[in-house]
Amino acid sequence: MPEDKNKPIIEAINLCKYFKTPKGQLHAVEDVSFSLMPGKTLGVVGESGCGKSTLGRTILRLQPATSGEVRYEGENILNYNRKQMNRIHQNMQMIFQDPYSSLDPRMSIRALITEPLEVLGTKKNMSAAEEKEKVSEIMDMCGLPKYYNNLYPHELDGGMRQRVGLARAMILDPKFIVCDEPVSALDVSIQAQILNLLLDLQDRNGLSYMFITHDLAVVKYISDEIMVMYMGQVVELAESDELFAHPMHPYTRALLNSIPTIDLSRRNRERITIRGEVSSPINPAPGCRFAPRCPYATEACRQNQCLKQVSPGHFAACTEGFK
Amino acid sequence: MENDKKVVLEIKDLHVQYNTDDATVRAVNGLNLTLHEGEKLGLVGETGAGKTTLALSILKLLPEKVGEITKGSITYKGEDLVTASEGHMLKLRGHSISMIFQDPMTSLNPTMSVGDQVLEVINLHFPELSSAEKTKKVDEMFNMVGIPASRKGEFPHQFSGGMKQRIVIAMALIAEPELLLADEPTTALDVTIQAQILELMRKLKEEFNSAVVLITHDLGVVAEFCDTVSVIYSGMVVEHGTVEQIFEGDGNHPYTKGLIHCIPSLTDTSKRLKPIPGRMPDPRNLPQGCCFADRCPNCMEVCKQRLPEPYEKDGHMILCHLYDEKEAKNA
Amino acid sequence: MARKKKTKKPLSEYSAGELILFRFRKNKLAMIGVGMFIFVTLMILIAPLIRPYSMVVKQDIVHRLNKPSAEHIFGTDELGRDLLARILYGGRISLFCSLAIIGIAFVTGAIIGGTAGFFGGKVDTILMRVVDMLMSVPSALLAMAIITALGNGVWKLVLALSIGQIARFARMVRSSVLTLRNREYIEAAKCFGSSSWRIIMKHILPNGIGPIIVSATLTLGSVILSISSMGYLGLGVASPTPEWGTIISENKVNIQYYPYLGIIPGICIMLTVMSVNFIGDGLRDAFDPKSKK
Repeated sequence: MPEDKNKPIIEAINLCKYFKTPKGQLHAVEDVSFSLMPGKTLGVVGESGCGKSTLGRTILRLQPATSGEVRYEGENILNYNRKQMNRIHQNMQMIFQDPYSSLDPRMSIRALITEPLEVLGTKKNMSAAEEKEKVSEIMDMCGLPKYYNNLYPHELDGGMRQRVGLARAMILDPKFIVCDEPVSALDVSIQAQILNLLLDLQDRNGLSYMFITHDLAVVKYISDEIMVMYMGQVVELAESDELFAHPMHPYTRALLNSIPTIDLSRRNRERITIRGEVSSPINPAPGCRFAPRCPYATEACRQNQCLKQVSPGHFAACTEGFK
Repeated sequence: MENDKKVVLEIKDLHVQYNTDDATVRAVNGLNLTLHEGEKLGLVGETGAGKTTLALSILKLLPEKVGEITKGSITYKGEDLVTASEGHMLKLRGHSISMIFQDPMTSLNPTMSVGDQVLEVINLHFPELSSAEKTKKVDEMFNMVGIPASRKGEFPHQFSGGMKQRIVIAMALIAEPELLLADEPTTALDVTIQAQILELMRKLKEEFNSAVVLITHDLGVVAEFCDTVSVIYSGMVVEHGTVEQIFEGDGNHPYTKGLIHCIPSLTDTSKRLKPIPGRMPDPRNLPQGCCFADRCPNCMEVCKQRLPEPYEKDGHMILCHLYDEKEAKNA
Repeated sequence: MARKKKTKKPLSEYSAGELILFRFRKNKLAMIGVGMFIFVTLMILIAPLIRPYSMVVKQDIVHRLNKPSAEHIFGTDELGRDLLARILYGGRISLFCSLAIIGIAFVTGAIIGGTAGFFGGKVDTILMRVVDMLMSVPSALLAMAIITALGNGVWKLVLALSIGQIARFARMVRSSVLTLRNREYIEAAKCFGSSSWRIIMKHILPNGIGPIIVSATLTLGSVILSISSMGYLGLGVASPTPEWGTIISENKVNIQYYPYLGIIPGICIMLTVMSVNFIGDGLRDAFDPKSKK
């Protein structure tokens, strides 16, 4: 099937994910819609508990969605059966935050990398030589030296483990990868190596990424589009440069202002510290969930909130932050 | 300007190693550090650089039998801490030197109300106060870090990460220590909360005028908060200077330069990052020459043979052969 | 299998199974354990070559309570029966019954606990309440009740005692599955579409089994003793059929003056338990790639 560059590879339409908790319903992901073009990266930023990881897992069907649709190449995959999902698993993969706990400590690097082939039955159709070649090709691509084959995860450092995680995802030649904070646990120098590797793989294989992170500098570096989430809601969605140049939502603005950078001229900037803390969206009141902390909140904010297009390709739920 | 201030902490040629069953891990290798009164020093380095080991050595909290200071001195206001008795250290810890740990989730006792935990520290440091005064002091501490005193009866799990870190800070500051060691105090927190905590620490620092050692891997946090920076690599300070010298100067250590290039910039439109190739040498098996030689873009023959001598100018110290040679040429 | 490959090849070319074997064989204690276990088993198996079965029950009042001598290497008991013969044949019951009991309890417990832990929810609640019920009855009492209902016999004894042990193993397996279930690598496996069966067999079992194996080997000793206490009560294996525990209990009045009557069967029990325990420890370490030994 020829790939259509103008057709989104992944779309989410009014996707919701609620969890039942003893205290009530937790609205982890509320009415999220986006579309991602082939070869592009969507960055998802937000603080812990904003639902960004849940969103990624719901899209991959690691967790059942409450309502809404996830479309892969135009088809809703949420009601696919097991067999159909196998095809989807080939095309949609995930890399995890913690390179220490996302690899089974009892499996050798080689076993870890070939596991996906085994699970999906591709291995049966391959000769041992073909398999070996495929593994060494992938290891090479991810910058893993050959002798790692029979090492175990605990013998590698964080950066190398994350490469193994990436190799496991890449061996299926996926088209779309959800990256859940893949560099947060790594040191900056290693982080830069992994980010560059992700970009190289994207250039080479035309991958699309959904890049989930709390680090705004990283997300700006890697993403074409950025979606800012707060307590399950999308508050702003725009192209990367546009978002940093013209943040509209008060939350986005505060977030951008809070990032510590090595630019000393920012030391004396006027600081926007937002009061209070994120609570969890259990049985949330209608309207903007940022309102209790927002300096501009009015009665109108307690009404329904929805994204409005403020300029071509730039959507924001509120424009009070733009002054 | 710093020189006329009193020196609070001086570390000279410190060597710390961990003796495990099958290897000797050399975590700190000849580290020098000077901290003046009221100074905010940032200690930057990657995982395994020896930052936490250094903090633990200052407090003499290295794991018993395993961790060992093999050489060097740590002088706190003129007294040597390496040879100090445990009894004396008990008096210093918490009174004059306090520490804030990275993980606020584990540094509070989950079965005690936060008010009682603060009170416990007050009992320890101010046993002479009456109980009414103590209660008043607890309330004061809570207000100081921006938590309503009415919440002091609650338990740690009822607070968020940022709130817990505030409580930990309150406990660290009760005795108005002259030296505060903060080990990655904001790493576990979100950016907006991190901003709040840094703001709070900045404010409290003004109030108490403690000297602060902020240990972190985040150059951004250092640039925001600190006056001076020590970049540490493989247990050595490879560069020390004011934030201006480190972040805006041009004569930096290749490692510092590399680190700065690794951080995606918010203002530049995307170029590829220039990561530092390779990784830190194994502390069980350190190279003979400069520890950074293997990863250094400017590595010379001499770098692999011997350690460089520190090169210093206007309080800006660099441990690198590049600057030796430069000096040699100029002379 | 790996034993044939005597030629040296680089460590990196061994398969995971070979590596486990390799690590196991490098573990000295485990190899001692294997040696001891083989010795004990062998002696029990070739017993007819050493002493005919008739000597087990042949009473010789004249030579009662003889100290160990050339004729009776382990001496004789108060009825003049040869202790060596009794121990050799008694080992058949002690060793094989206790291994069978542990095996049955281990497998059943692992299935129940694993299912409960992995699937959670209602399945968990129902299974664990059943296990709680089993646990609330003292295991000796339970075994007695079962044997009384089913009647005497070695296999009925095995069944009765293993039921009492199932609850322990089920609880242990469940708790280790619960801690492993939420690991990220389990989620990663789901990402590739792994089935629940595969996740349990490939990821949960190898990671959780270590401590359970060790605990199983430790239980062996107490199982040998409970077989004998059942025998003492006249349930399962009863005198004059020998069995290590029974041998000790039938000689207990004479132990004070003839200590070898207690010490020798005691050493047999101890050797067996120790060897199995060493093997268990070795297995745990061998399964864990982090142990370099």
